[in-house]
Amino acid sequence: MIPLVVLGAVIAVLVIASGLKDFGWTFWGFQYRFVPGEPEASSWGIGVFLVGTFLTAGLSLVLATLLSLALAISSVVYLPPLPGRLLSMVTNLLAGIPSVIYGIWGFVVLAPYFGMALEPSLKDVLGWLPGFGGPDSAIGPWGTLLAVFILTIMIIPLTTALMRESLRSVPRELVEAGLALGATRWEVVRRVRMRVARNGLWSAVLLGFGRALGESVAVAMVIGGTSIALPPSLYASSTTVASFIFSQLDSALLYPDLFILLVEFSLVLLGIAVVVNLVAQRFTRVELATATTLGGGG
Amino acid sequence: MSPDRRAPVHVASAAPTKEVSVLLCPKCGTSVPPGFPSGPFRCSFCGTTLPVGTSESAPPVSSVARPGSAGGILSVQGLSVLAKAKPLISDVSLDIPEGKVTAIIGPSGCGKTTLLRSMNRMVELHALRVKGKVLYQGRDIYDAQVNPVLVRRRIGMVFQRPTVFPTSVYENVAFGLRLDGESEEVIEKTVVSALHRTGLWDEVKGSLDLPALTLSGGQQQRLCIARALAVSPRVLLMDEPTSSLDPVGTQRVEDLIFELKNDYTVVIVTHNMQQAARVADLTAFMYQGRLIEFDSTKRIFEQPREKLTENYITGRFG
Amino acid sequence: MKTPASFGSDLVPTSGRLRRRILFDRVIGWVLLLAFVAVLFPLFDLVGWVSSYALPTMSWSVLTENQVGESGGLYAMIVGTLVLISLGTAIAAGLGISAGFYTAEFAPPPVRRLARLAGNVLAGVPAIVLGYFGYYALVLYTHWGFTTLAGGIILGIFMLPYIFRTTDIALSNVPPSQREASLALGSNRIQYLRRVAFPIAFPTILTGIFFAMALGLGEAAPLVYTAGWSSTPVQNLMQPTAFLTGGIWAFYDFPRSYGTFLTLAFQAAFLLIVIVLVINIVVQVLSDRYRQRLAGIYE
Repeated sequence: MIPLVVLGAVIAVLVIASGLKDFGWTFWGFQYRFVPGEPEASSWGIGVFLVGTFLTAGLSLVLATLLSLALAISSVVYLPPLPGRLLSMVTNLLAGIPSVIYGIWGFVVLAPYFGMALEPSLKDVLGWLPGFGGPDSAIGPWGTLLAVFILTIMIIPLTTALMRESLRSVPRELVEAGLALGATRWEVVRRVRMRVARNGLWSAVLLGFGRALGESVAVAMVIGGTSIALPPSLYASSTTVASFIFSQLDSALLYPDLFILLVEFSLVLLGIAVVVNLVAQRFTRVELATATTLGGGG
Repeated sequence: MSPDRRAPVHVASAAPTKEVSVLLCPKCGTSVPPGFPSGPFRCSFCGTTLPVGTSESAPPVSSVARPGSAGGILSVQGLSVLAKAKPLISDVSLDIPEGKVTAIIGPSGCGKTTLLRSMNRMVELHALRVKGKVLYQGRDIYDAQVNPVLVRRRIGMVFQRPTVFPTSVYENVAFGLRLDGESEEVIEKTVVSALHRTGLWDEVKGSLDLPALTLSGGQQQRLCIARALAVSPRVLLMDEPTSSLDPVGTQRVEDLIFELKNDYTVVIVTHNMQQAARVADLTAFMYQGRLIEFDSTKRIFEQPREKLTENYITGRFG
Repeated sequence: MKTPASFGSDLVPTSGRLRRRILFDRVIGWVLLLAFVAVLFPLFDLVGWVSSYALPTMSWSVLTENQVGESGGLYAMIVGTLVLISLGTAIAAGLGISAGFYTAEFAPPPVRRLARLAGNVLAGVPAIVLGYFGYYALVLYTHWGFTTLAGGIILGIFMLPYIFRTTDIALSNVPPSQREASLALGSNRIQYLRRVAFPIAFPTILTGIFFAMALGLGEAAPLVYTAGWSSTPVQNLMQPTAFLTGGIWAFYDFPRSYGTFLTLAFQAAFLLIVIVLVINIVVQVLSDRYRQRLAGIYE
């Protein structure tokens, strides 16, 4: 019962802390302007943060899902057992690297590369796609795309391990039945394994999503975060709910209104995370053993 | 090659116990018709020519009387399968005649399933090492040039437990056809005829779109057979296909096997001797990884040559 | 079809489609392998860069000296991290293991389901939310201010679900035959748990604890709001403290030209990577060996 009590306590305390203060309908809007000491002149829309959260988490989830599927399929189906296990181990090691370290690596090492090389060439090649055309980040090389990249790497170990486990748990007889009908390995993956393991794969995607949208530190370090507006392009800086809460500590200490606002932001974030996790659980039971050895919340 | 591979091929097979010696091309192993005229040897497949009277030109093989040796659609030659260094079967040779039901019997752990699974390269999935040859149409299926996909298209398999996919009844049978990119018309025609063939049609015609897992165990197993037939194999390997079925389901599957044998070659592994006696034309008895005896079922059950076979048949061990 | 002309004709791809299918299968095997490059490259790049920043000026004094202004080392952070992780592990292991025992062995089925659900949801709660919860409950409400104790407690809550879940799973996975054999011999539940279930489950639980520690060591979000920051080594639990992840967070955006702060951040990062990788390797070896040793029981 302890986990339940703790979970209940977390929710209860946050609700009490917020005092259920009503910021009005603008709370769900896209206007965010904080004027210290002047509540009348401030507006507190969470919209921009939610867009940033879903944008970064969503994009990184797409990339991570593709890569993880590739990794899982090749280690379960294509690679011989030993290299397969070895590479799985290396992927698991990625999971162990702390998020602050991804953050500092992204901030110091990757950012110049993104700003000077990757983003200009992306703009040249994919400029016609919405979001890829520019403008650049106004505050230097940090921005949405870098955050997406870091998040992708951060959630890959979790999604890969979960996907590997669910692809592997497909009954051997079914796989053999597919092969015995003259299907190639790939066709068995597509038509048998992925179909039988569908629930497990979906839960992997959802748990990865939960992980990505809750990540605060690494995102706060690389996303720029200064402009609280919808990002005009993928290169521009933006902000997420989690990274905003994390980076606003100093201000929260000073302004009670902002503190309460952040508590309510936390509640929204918690609500989203709980829903995502509950949906993920509806899909599966078995995979939780793996989730245990790779972590969930950021 | 006939353009329509779906048409069943009726081929009269050689008399089961007739002794025939076969000539093989020394280079590629193609069998040369027994009535090979004297004169220089020219292989019709690889084009190898050899002068008359070359001693190596036509070494006789299979000179031991083996049932149906000449017409064997599958010819297992000196086959050993090893797990690490431990042999699961060693030095097994037998010819499976076309259009017959061949049963493989023996006590558990004797290697009968391994032998069966080596006939369509299923053993490769278990990191087992294969030595020796399995010839199909005269060609070694373990040849590096041969893709297992092609082997398994022609040599289908039915497993111990029904292995239906979690899709509809219809889609289960259509599985192999979809891979081939057949048109919907062809698929429908083939699915229906495969279901007819396995006697399932009347039972499932109203529920083609229901999940296959809602069928009974026996129906599922026949669905698996229908699914295998839909890709028009020439050989059907069955690994204890009735071991998970009730008596009624077993009866149905046995009847089906009996009926299929005119159009397909069936190899069935069974631990049930009565079943072998009921359905098989030929029976192979294996013991501790070796083929002890292979002959017509009647002979195996009535006057086996080997003491070991007799002991097993009469229930002294097993 | 039995004439030599048919030699192996079924074993040669007869249609373009069949040839394409087989080719595609081979190609896709290699293409998928590219994903490993996409994942391994960042891993090596990260480790390489962190080392190249951290190692040139790395020395024992970095580990043993305290940071003073622009010079000094990581001593206060190392001490703080050790204290925090010990506190967190003690809390998480105590609560998590007992909760796991209760859930796996004593709880009625509906309670068991609920507890597992809560455990999984708790693992999915973003760390920053826990941090803010701790900030309100343990920093503001108690009037403690930032304290090591608060940091340890929140870290413990963060680690709790992982230890809880591994304990629960490890005990639930003990084969029923072992349980029946034990109870049939007349032992009661407690004896069964102590003598049979625990020894079988223990290595898995240990794996869970190590794993939770590795996660806890790398977290910054729950601590920044609770443990605060201090530039001197922590003396007692009611003081704020420095910690390695906090050091990285505090110094990561100093320009390279500005003193040793950035180097110090990378040195902290390097130290963390080493510790966490060692723990992860131990976990992998432990669980591999355990799986082999118990293969017999689970057959």
